[in-house]
Amino acid sequence: MDQFKLCFQEEAREIIVDLESALLELNNNSGDQELVGRIFRALHTIKGSGSMFGFEELATFTHKLETAFEEVRDGRLQINSELIDLTLAALDQIRSMVEEGQGGVTVDPVVCAEILTKVLQITGTPEAPECSKIAVAPIDPPALSDRAQEWLIRFAPGPDLMLNGGNPTLLLRELRQLGGLSVEASMAAVPPLDELDPERCYVAWEMVLATSANRDAIRDVFVFVEDCCELTIEPASSQADNPVESAPAYAADKKAKALAGRSSQAGDRNHRKLDSASLRVPAVKLDQFLDLVGELVTVQARLSEVATRCDDPEVAAVSEEIERLTLSLRENSMSIRMFPIRDTFEKFRRLVHDLARDLGKDVELTVEGGETELDKTVIDQLGDPLMHLIRNSMDHGIEPSDIRASRGKRAAASIHLSARHSGASVLIEVSDDGGGINTEAVRNRAIEKGLIDADASLTDDETFALIFQPGFSTAKQVTDVSGRGVGMDVVQQKVESLRGSIDVASNIGLGTKVTLRLPLTLAIIDGLLVSVGKAFFVLPLSNILECIELTCEDIVKANGKHLANVRGEVIPYFRLREYFQIGTPQPEREQIIVVETEGGRFGFVVDQVMGDCQTVIKNLGRFYRHVQVVSGATILGNGSVALILDPERLVQDALRAEAKWPGNRPVPECKGSCQ
Amino acid sequence: MPVSLEQSETQRLIRLEGAIDIACAAELKTLLLTALSSGREVCVSLGGATGLNATSVQLLWAAERQARAAGNGFAFVGPVQESLSISLGGEGFNEFFVLLSADCLGGVANCQA
Repeated sequence: MDQFKLCFQEEAREIIVDLESALLELNNNSGDQELVGRIFRALHTIKGSGSMFGFEELATFTHKLETAFEEVRDGRLQINSELIDLTLAALDQIRSMVEEGQGGVTVDPVVCAEILTKVLQITGTPEAPECSKIAVAPIDPPALSDRAQEWLIRFAPGPDLMLNGGNPTLLLRELRQLGGLSVEASMAAVPPLDELDPERCYVAWEMVLATSANRDAIRDVFVFVEDCCELTIEPASSQADNPVESAPAYAADKKAKALAGRSSQAGDRNHRKLDSASLRVPAVKLDQFLDLVGELVTVQARLSEVATRCDDPEVAAVSEEIERLTLSLRENSMSIRMFPIRDTFEKFRRLVHDLARDLGKDVELTVEGGETELDKTVIDQLGDPLMHLIRNSMDHGIEPSDIRASRGKRAAASIHLSARHSGASVLIEVSDDGGGINTEAVRNRAIEKGLIDADASLTDDETFALIFQPGFSTAKQVTDVSGRGVGMDVVQQKVESLRGSIDVASNIGLGTKVTLRLPLTLAIIDGLLVSVGKAFFVLPLSNILECIELTCEDIVKANGKHLANVRGEVIPYFRLREYFQIGTPQPEREQIIVVETEGGRFGFVVDQVMGDCQTVIKNLGRFYRHVQVVSGATILGNGSVALILDPERLVQDALRAEAKWPGNRPVPECKGSCQ
Repeated sequence: MPVSLEQSETQRLIRLEGAIDIACAAELKTLLLTALSSGREVCVSLGGATGLNATSVQLLWAAERQARAAGNGFAFVGPVQESLSISLGGEGFNEFFVLLSADCLGGVANCQA
């Protein structure tokens, strides 16, 4: 598939998300004409661009929907929930048409026909003409309002536009739908016949458009080709007094000016680039870029070491300068990967709308903090956990309306999705005003499943943690929505794989709030570099509470137990030397790194604390994918490799090993002066 | 064939049939170069064409320019179909096609433009 079609698909996906969001908003604000306009424009863009890139079926289908919304826009039809539901169903088909052929996605023509029939029944309009017929028929310019303005448009398609299936004719037709258009083709760039590549387009167009549409609406016509063409859209402000009817005469005048300015095309191109608010780059290129920046960081660290050893002020100055630039480059490259979470949140409006209908519940979704930015990799993997949390809330959390009424609650239940920054993490909350988690029911089910003893005494947090166990569900029956005990397990797995954590707060009768704490990025961490023998390890700073020396007194007082007394608090610890079976001799002085984990505070004993470091995480590769205690590796300035440890999993694994072979651990030995 | 070349003593006639788009562009260029290299007058019959896209128009425009520069005749022969007329006008190409009647094709035997 050529790059233009891929480009269309990418942009169409974004438009569909926006369209879906606008439709659901319109469901709650049926009189909002701005939303109707937004929906109409989105359908119009999908239709026009789809047709241009060979998605004829999509264009025809969307055209008919667009016709229905034209009725709404022009006040001839009142919007209602039936039309919105139908349009949402139609959107699913449009989505399939965009993705057809990928991953087994197919379009069901029967469903499409049924949807269109229902739409036409609602609108009461005769069937709209096929797009292909429109392509032949001349299009009358729409009646111009008093606010019509003239625009001078210069459009020079990129040389490969037509080779890749683009068609300037369709763009001109789209423009014509906005108003009166006078067009003149320019052959100035066409080379002599024998030099002419027959499959390239050398023609440019100069046009005058009289329309009430604004610049953005005009630019929307070119949205899928803007990156590969020269496009200027200038208001004819100096000729504002000219009546609209004088467009052709005015065109000649403006065209002369445009031709005179052709020598400055390079300048125009630069101007256009500056005008562009964003640039579409394949994610894989971004990953490669980040990898290279990671390599640079490693080399820079080596350079710093060499500069320190050289003791040459000139080398040191250059090294410092490179360090400064590398830091800026790293921060910039990281920021490129950061995306607002808004689109992910918006997708759930549809889920809530459909589930509420299926479950017969009245539920409102509110969203907050959509502008919060997260690493793209994190965002990409957040969809599933959030979906399961919302489904769970709607099925189990939100009570049926009669129960809500008996509890004096508002008939419409609420689910609130929010995101906010908290240090180096992002907190994502899913809260509802439902019935809350019945801890007694959870406890009973856990006893039934043998997860806890009947006489176990659990805190609320420990009880809530049970709902994330695989196969755990308190649902009395399995429904289409939930009840198999899989969803929350997926949430736990996914969040852990993102190096995040989950916190649950719930009040019976009032509701539940699940908070996901996730790292801002997966590509870099702030870590603490430690050494054991000749091996280096990095521990994420976010988990570390403090570093203390392991004293002889602690070892003696603990009586052979791996316990340290930290200001009166007893903290269990284990030696990384023993865990990783590092054979080098134990030093006289050791350090305990105290970390906070879900299971409480633990200490990791290391030989030496080297200091904090910003670490670019390298994947260990698929052969080590099952080594869960290590989340990656990094290359240090001296060229050696440091493993990045996952404290949560390290503690879990160490405790499992301890439970399995309680007597196997060597008795700690003090090498200090007390022995 | 959407594009074909007929030859006579005095003229070369290129016939365009149906929609002439990027799929025919390479063939059209070859025929135009062949016709121009003969040094004879070149006529392009648009009577059977239902559509000409930008790649075809730019080829015809470049061919006409080359013929004129060499002092050879180059003409478009009509009448054209209404749909073609509308689409050429809509794309701002109408001024490039000064149409002659089929009578000018005296040199090409049995030609019905």
